[in-house]
Amino acid sequence: MGYEEDLEAYRSQLLQSLSSRPNRSVSGVLDPIQVYVNERRVGELEGAGMDATLHAKSLDHIETIQLRTEDGTLLGGLVASEYGYRTSRIQLSSDAVELCVHNTAQGGSLSAVFIPKPSFWSRIWSRMGKTLTDVADRLAIRRPDAAIAHSMRTVAFTQALLAVMVVGLVLDRVATWMGPEQMMTTGIQPEALRTVSVTEMEKLEQQLGELARMQQKVGEALDFQQKGMAQLHLSMAKLSSSQESVASKVVMVKEEMEKPQENLEPETARTTPHHPANRGVVDQEQLEVAIRSLTEDNAKLSREVASLEEHNQTLAAKLHTASVNASKAVDPNPERLLATRGDVARTNQSLQVAESLQNSPMQPFLFWVTFSEGTSQESIDQWVHEKKGHKGVLNEGWQEVRIVPPAVPPDRFLEQIRGEKIVKAARIPE
Amino acid sequence: MADHTVTVSRLEEVVSTADEFDRVVSQALPVLLDRATGYTKRFLRETGQWNDDIEHEKFALRWGSEYLERFMVCGRSEVPCRPLFLFDSLVAKQHSKPEPFCYHPDLLRPLGRFLDGIVARAVVSRDALIALYHHSYGWGAGEVIAVTGLNGLESQRIYKNFRRWRESGWQRTMDEIGLTKTELAELAGQQQRHRQRFNGEAERLIRVAQAHYRKSEPDHYPCLSRPQWREMFAQGYGCDYRIWHLALCLDCIQTAWGLGSNGSLTEEKPRLELLVRP
Repeated sequence: MGYEEDLEAYRSQLLQSLSSRPNRSVSGVLDPIQVYVNERRVGELEGAGMDATLHAKSLDHIETIQLRTEDGTLLGGLVASEYGYRTSRIQLSSDAVELCVHNTAQGGSLSAVFIPKPSFWSRIWSRMGKTLTDVADRLAIRRPDAAIAHSMRTVAFTQALLAVMVVGLVLDRVATWMGPEQMMTTGIQPEALRTVSVTEMEKLEQQLGELARMQQKVGEALDFQQKGMAQLHLSMAKLSSSQESVASKVVMVKEEMEKPQENLEPETARTTPHHPANRGVVDQEQLEVAIRSLTEDNAKLSREVASLEEHNQTLAAKLHTASVNASKAVDPNPERLLATRGDVARTNQSLQVAESLQNSPMQPFLFWVTFSEGTSQESIDQWVHEKKGHKGVLNEGWQEVRIVPPAVPPDRFLEQIRGEKIVKAARIPE
Repeated sequence: MADHTVTVSRLEEVVSTADEFDRVVSQALPVLLDRATGYTKRFLRETGQWNDDIEHEKFALRWGSEYLERFMVCGRSEVPCRPLFLFDSLVAKQHSKPEPFCYHPDLLRPLGRFLDGIVARAVVSRDALIALYHHSYGWGAGEVIAVTGLNGLESQRIYKNFRRWRESGWQRTMDEIGLTKTELAELAGQQQRHRQRFNGEAERLIRVAQAHYRKSEPDHYPCLSRPQWREMFAQGYGCDYRIWHLALCLDCIQTAWGLGSNGSLTEEKPRLELLVRP
């Protein structure tokens, strides 16, 4: 074999080996997983179906983590960030390893946790609660930190309620099948009992199927809502960036206005008197333009918030309907249904509370208003106070007012304002 | 050529998910392997370690493949990313380390490649590490257990390590280092014809490889004196230390000889008797 052929054969062999890397299920499920930090072995994780952890500290920064089998097969890895935390969940066939790396100026630390494949009952339970867990996740994403605990309590309560309902349903069925009349006729009419049981089972299956469809619908609705919230966050990010740019412009303008004063004071006689004034005018114009763009963004955001709010209410109503329908599908007992409705109402109430918590730190709603002639300043102040707002600048008779974003759409809100006695006109900044 | 350009341009685009990363990279393995090999060649040229021969070409290919394997596994956690740039940075990072790989001209010949290959594999594979006792001294599982003074639970693992190495580990390592059947047969022939000279040369070369790869041990397990080894064996701690260090240090295996077996090993101190086959 010649030089070129030998080399080409070796290259092909390496490529083949790279493209057919075996996974851990092939290499042996129960063997420990070797953990390497910066390509040095630091220990191993027991993989015999039990939770296992490994903690390792390093005086140097941790750059790479590698997980290998005993035969050296590379199962997974992670490139750590230079500073701070980095976590990753590495899936190994049906098991997983969670890695958490923390790099500081003093060195790095690694925490690795082996998570074995969940047992049969765990999988059944997790499948039952999957939809509700999804709901909990979405709520946790939607809400700020302060509301997470509340939403988790709500989800835990709902899960407990669902578990009680399922257990109750099963007991109910068992009681029906094993009741005194049935017991008496068991020996006489086994065929009838079998028919009844099969019918009941089919009915139960249909009801469960219906419940699953309802849950899916709720999931879809929540997905849609989540997308809306993502859009809102995007808009808020845009607004905050524009606010930052305005703030930086203001600082720049101030600095530039101060600079000429400092520089020119000793040489006032030599400089032309028009120059600083002209610059001041230009800067003021820039500032006005920036403020205008900010107010425009603010108005856009307010409109988006209002439309999302409406959409939110629609979705909440849909959720309510779906929950009631789902309860109907599971439990035909009217007393329990009433209790379920009460719980759903409580859940919705808590949702609304959480949403109001979420809404509180939003950007203020800004509008301009002129008052009827002869309105005293005290009346104006009192009116602003009633609206829980703050007065802004006064420009050509128009008073700028900032309030907490109203629950109704901006146009409707303005109509309401215009209808008030002391208000002459009201508008949203263009 | 057009395909190559398309593949490269696809690698330059952002991939957003781990699955997409796997798909894009798996379609571009030849391109990435050639790229990593090219970088390794350039590194060797710039550090004055390059010769235009097949041994150097194979060495560059082997390390290119090693980098690509790490990239395929670690890159998944870096999404969203541009795979090509991530790959370049990973290779550059490796080459910026002191002694990124074990280079010695004598380690590029078949005997050197064999030794370098199994010692390098021992760093990342416990099977290869345990098999190193067999290839260096001709020991079986029972002797390894006796020499390293292991308990019952650890002993079971040693038997499994031996079995896996025989079944697949050895062949895979030979494939990775590119030793052909002809070269292996030639090694066996040399060993039969000039046993003493062959083992002497092997001992010289394995010391070079072991000195390099021992840096990959946990916390740089250092060499110990006989009293220190005795204490460790007597107290029963440092199981990993014993297994890892003694496999990778010819001197310490002689220093600690007999401590793990409670006097049952009556033979002379071990000397390197290289076995090519598992």
